[in-house]
Formats: sequence, C-alpha cells, structure tokens
Amino acid sequence: MKKTIFPIITILAIVLLIFLPYFIGAYLLHVLMTIFIYMTLALSWDMMLRTGQLSFGVAGFFGVGAYASIITCSRFGFNPLVSILFAGFFVALIALGLGFAVLKLRDIYFSITTLAITMVFSVIIRNIPKLTGGASGKVIPNVIFNGDSAKTYWLILSLALITILISEMFNRTKIHFAINSIRNDEIIARSSGINIFGYLLFVFIISSALQGIAGAIYTQQYGFVSPETTFSLDFLLLPMAMALVGGIYSTWGSVIGALVLGFASEYLKLIMPYGHLIIYGIMIVLIILFLPKGIYGTTKDKIITHKIEKKSLSE
Amino acid sequence: MLNLEKTNKSLKKTLIAFIIFLIVVGIWKPLALVYGIQRGGLYSLIGLPLALILGIVGILNLAHGDFLTLGLYIGYIFFNSWSIDPLISMAPLFFILFGLGMVIYSILIRRVLKAGHLNQLLLTFGISMIIIELIKIIWTTRPRSVYTSYASSSVTLGNMSIGMYEFIYPAMAIAVLVILQLFLKKTRLGQAASAVGQNPKGAEIVGINTNVVYLVVFSIAFGIIGVAASVMLPRTPVFPLSGNPYTLKSFALVAMAGLGNLNGILIGGITLGVAEAIVQSIPGYEGWSDVVFFGILIAVILLNAYRRPES
Repeated sequence: MKKTIFPIITILAIVLLIFLPYFIGAYLLHVLMTIFIYMTLALSWDMMLRTGQLSFGVAGFFGVGAYASIITCSRFGFNPLVSILFAGFFVALIALGLGFAVLKLRDIYFSITTLAITMVFSVIIRNIPKLTGGASGKVIPNVIFNGDSAKTYWLILSLALITILISEMFNRTKIHFAINSIRNDEIIARSSGINIFGYLLFVFIISSALQGIAGAIYTQQYGFVSPETTFSLDFLLLPMAMALVGGIYSTWGSVIGALVLGFASEYLKLIMPYGHLIIYGIMIVLIILFLPKGIYGTTKDKIITHKIEKKSLSE
Repeated sequence: MLNLEKTNKSLKKTLIAFIIFLIVVGIWKPLALVYGIQRGGLYSLIGLPLALILGIVGILNLAHGDFLTLGLYIGYIFFNSWSIDPLISMAPLFFILFGLGMVIYSILIRRVLKAGHLNQLLLTFGISMIIIELIKIIWTTRPRSVYTSYASSSVTLGNMSIGMYEFIYPAMAIAVLVILQLFLKKTRLGQAASAVGQNPKGAEIVGINTNVVYLVVFSIAFGIIGVAASVMLPRTPVFPLSGNPYTLKSFALVAMAGLGNLNGILIGGITLGVAEAIVQSIPGYEGWSDVVFFGILIAVILLNAYRRPES
C-alpha cells in the first residue's frame, strides 16, 4: 500500500508547487525562491559528502557560475536562459580540470584545498576588472523575465526538482553502492573493483555544475554581482547548516532542513535584523554534538527500531 | 605528528635554501625583504598555535582566526576602557584566552575527539560562525583601532623608510617558538605532549593522561593567540573579520612545514611573507598577493599528495 501512496503524494506535491504562484503573495513566493536556491546548494553539497569528501567549495562554484552568466549575458549578448546553461557547462568544465588535481586528496586536505580554491576564484575575479567589474561588481540592465516573479519561481523550482531527482537517482541506482562503499572504506571499495576516482569525479562535476547553475539563476534574479556578496561564505554555511539539521547522506534530509531553516531564518530576520546568522552557527554546533544524524535521520532510525520491536513482539 | 629527529636532519637543508633565498631577495628588492620578514613573523606567530593544536590534539581549528579577532576586541576594550597599553595587556590577554581555550576544549572539542574529521571540521566551522556573529551583535561591524605613539615610529635608511614597530612580530615569533620548544623538550608535561602527538594510543598505554595533555596544549595554544592579538593590535584595524583570513594562512604554513614541525612554521611564514611582499612591490599586481598564499597552499598540498601515492 505504501508503495502506491508515495508516488501519488509526490505528484500532488509537485502539482501544488507548480500552481503555487496563483495562490500566494509575492513575499512568500520570494521566500520560497530563496529556500529552493539554498536547497539546491545543500543537496549538491550533500551529494559530494556522501562520497566522504567534505567540500568547502560551494561558494566558489556558486560565484563562478554567477559571474559566467552575468558576463556572457552583458558582454556577449547571450539570452539569460542560455547564459545560465552556459554557466553550468563552464563550472562543470572547471570542476573537471580541478577534479583531476583535487580529488586525489582526502580528509582535511580536500576540504582546505576547496576552501582555498574559493578564495583564489574571488581574488582572480577581483583583479580582472575589465571583464568582471573588479571590486565594485557588475550590474546588468535587465533582470531575468523582466522581473516576472512567477516565471522566475518556475525556473528555480525546476532546478530544485532536477537536483532532488539527481540526488534520488544517486541514492536508488547502482551508484549508491559505489558511493557508500567509498565513504565507508576506500580499500575495500577498491578491492571490489570500484573505480573510485571515476565516481568521485562524476559526482564532483555534477554537484559543482548544479552549484554553478544555482549561482547563475540567483544573480540573474537580482541582476547584480560583486566579489564580496557573490563569493560570500553564506552560500557555503547556510546550505551546510540546512543539510546538517535535516540529516546528511539523504535527499529528504536536505529538503527538510532547507524548509525548516529557511522559514526560521525569515522569521528571525524580522525579530532580529542584525546577526541572526548566529542561530545557524549554534545549530551546527548543537547538531554535531547531540543529533549527528539530523531530523530526518533520527526519525527514520526511530521508526525502523519501532518496527523491529513490533515485529519481535508479534512473533 | 611530532617527529623531531627527522625534522632536525631536513632542517639543515631547508635552512640553507632559506638563507640563500633571503640573500637573493635582499640584493634584488631590499624593501620587500624587510616587509616580508615583518609580515612573515606575524604569520608565524599566528600559525604556531594552530600547528600546536593540529599536531598534538589532531584538530584543525577553523575558528582559529576568529579567536584572534576576539583577542583583538578584548585588547581594544583594555585600551579603550582602562587605557592599558596593548603590550601590557598581553599578560591578561594570555590568561583570558588560556581560560577560554580550557572552556572551549572541555565543553565542545572533547566530545568530538573520536568523532572523525568531518564532525570536527564542521564543529569548529560552527564555532567560527558563532564568534563572528556574536562580535557583530556586540560591537557592530564598525572598524575600530588603537593608537599608540610608538607603533608609527619609523627609520629612514638611504631612500627607504622602514616601520620599526613591525620588527616585534618576528621577534615575538622567535621568542614564542623558543619557549614552546623548551616546554616540549625539557618539561615532563611537554615531553608527554610530544609523545601524545607522535602516538596517542602508545602514550595512553605508558600511562599518560591524554585528556590532560590535550587540555593543556589546547589552552596554551589559545594563550598564544591572545599574545599574537595584543602584539598586532597597535597596527591592525579591529573589525569582525579582521582575524578570519589568518585561519587559512596559518593552515597554509602548517601544510608547508608538515605536521608537528614547529621550526618549519617560522621558515615557511617568512618565506611566504617575503613572497607576498615581492608580488606587492610589482606595480599593478598588488591585488594578486593573496593568490601567492593560496597558490602555494594548493601546490604544497598537491605535491605532498602525489609524493605519497597511497594516500
């Protein structure tokens, strides 16, 4: 019974989300758009984490995607949608090149190198003002769809849905076994004949491209880039906090985390306009200490143990 | 981990290369050499506590630079409220951060010692975020500074003018390094710390209380952060992110020097400082100096990874 109910609920939810702009106001729509952008980043970060690699490069790929889109749009007259796709390909290409060097690293060395790469990106962009506008940034005359929020919402929603789909594909197909075994024990994975580097590169390129596209859409929505705001570590920290709160290593964990923290931070912004980000920091610390599996992971575990108990009782 | 014999051997080679490098730069760009040594001294002074924690406790503290910022603000309060000179408030600052280190270790770090690198990194990342936002809430983002008459004194040599105060950075870095080495080699606790750094399980078997060692090392490292903050306060604008870039820069030094090689931190720090100063002295390329650090960091990490193919 459960197996037939689940797809129906999913389809209903998607239909509801598609028709949402006709029912809700502009403010709520805007909040949802931001949440979906962060959801994409959180999920793509988690995809990389599932292979055991903690990437701090989210903000870097986000920023490069944003700049790629704005520059092709304003300088070479690309259609905004084409420029977003181009940004995705461009970031994927960079990830392919970087991947050959970076993906040989493990543990803290991988994390720190990705963080350093983010810094290098922002320094490079700040220092080629002819192309990027330098430290003061760049503005494009027209935002995407001329500011039609319903169309922008559908664009962002489709990105979030595609990301969820890719994440579920990773979790349900054969790739899932490879990724999990790389995370758990690389030596065993290698001796089982898994091409570790190949899988890592594949996941790295896909997740980076998604981050780049998210960055491109985000800046097309606001029509503005600058090194400070576009490479802001917020685009790394908030998705990380969301994935952690919801529960890492799963699709629905990041989705739940993004919704919970997204609405919570909107509320906090109203009552605490300055420094509300501290809540994210406190949440990261508390979750790491007391609830390392997150909301989704913990409830799932509870349900499973409950079921096992029931079974053993009935037997 | 701490590997003293091996570092002593390779130290001679690197030392010779290092001195040749300094002489070449000294002939080519004397001003860049002076600035580089000054700045490199600061990098080493700040890098030492990170290296100590990473080498012995085995934790990469991503909130390193933010505790430095916190130290700067505390020093600023001392100066602003009670007009205590930053160089005098060095002593209270050492003990305040020492205590803070004890608290942070006991209530947070101790719980993730066995939890794996991912959780440790995320925890310190969270702490970093809390400190930055807390500072923003308490002191706002307005930059502050401390004025002391001696900090702007300079000496004119021929046609170049050199700031004198900054020479305190390499001097302090050397002093802290010497004291740390004495502590690690001569005192019982220091020897225990070296042993734990080399092999925590073995140290536990021979009866060393690793928890106490970790606590002491962590607190001492935090105390050094306090010293670094008070030394740099007269020449540094204080704002919520003023210490933040030093986390990555310190890690770059540790990655260059190798884990547990404290002397290497000084050599690496001055090398990077000089390299940065050279880039900044080329007109039109001042903005690229940050790439030197991160570029070298990435290059060193990659080189090390390819030298040991199995890792």
